Amino acid sequence: MTDPTWPRLKLGSHLLPGLAAVALFAVLAVVVLGGDFGAAEGFPADAGITAGIGYAMFNLSFGDVPSEGFLVAFLTIAIVLDAALDGAVMLAKREGDGDDALTALTDGGRVRDALGGDETAGETNNDDTVDGGDR
Amino acid sequence: MAVPVQWYLLLSAAMFCIGVFGVLTRRNALLFLMSVELMLNAANINLVAFARLWGNLTGQVFSLFTMALAAAEVAVGIGIILVLYRNFSDVDVTRATTMRW
Repeated sequence: MTDPTWPRLKLGSHLLPGLAAVALFAVLAVVVLGGDFGAAEGFPADAGITAGIGYAMFNLSFGDVPSEGFLVAFLTIAIVLDAALDGAVMLAKREGDGDDALTALTDGGRVRDALGGDETAGETNNDDTVDGGDR
Repeated sequence: MAVPVQWYLLLSAAMFCIGVFGVLTRRNALLFLMSVELMLNAANINLVAFARLWGNLTGQVFSLFTMALAAAEVAVGIGIILVLYRNFSDVDVTRATTMRW
């Protein structure tokens, strides 16, 4: 009988560390269900929630529901997203794409298989055909 | 009828623990990323639940920023996984033992 091609649930001893997560859930459930939080205030039925979120993002106080201002967080997250985009592009760039030395070398400087003994991973190689960057 | 806030917290705890379970038992780096994402979004459920509990929009707005931060984290994470695959021909996190600098 051949193996099916769909994913199968693999049970075994590699699931044992997951018992810590189950124990954590038990502790959290006991704490949460034992706590007293009071009744939820909720929002007024005719309040503009979406408009309130939009106003709160730019420190405007026209909303129906009270909230803090988030203009600084908004600008910070914009810079963080920009930096993350730059980081992702820097990581994804292939070694040997031009002579940019900013490519990520995380193979411990080992000697490349295809290049022989004299070329190491720390050197930038402009030849795309023998570079091991896109194996 | 109003759902008590305990049930939201219980859902959030379950989601967080599923994420912890994934991090503890998986070896695929992509599944690691998904598990971290589950943990982050469990925190979002808490923020929204408490926003409703106190009748204040701060939690809802902050959960939006958390989602943006999660997007940034995933962008960098996928870049790291790409480099991992390029250098080790695998996304198994236990094989990448020679990442020295």
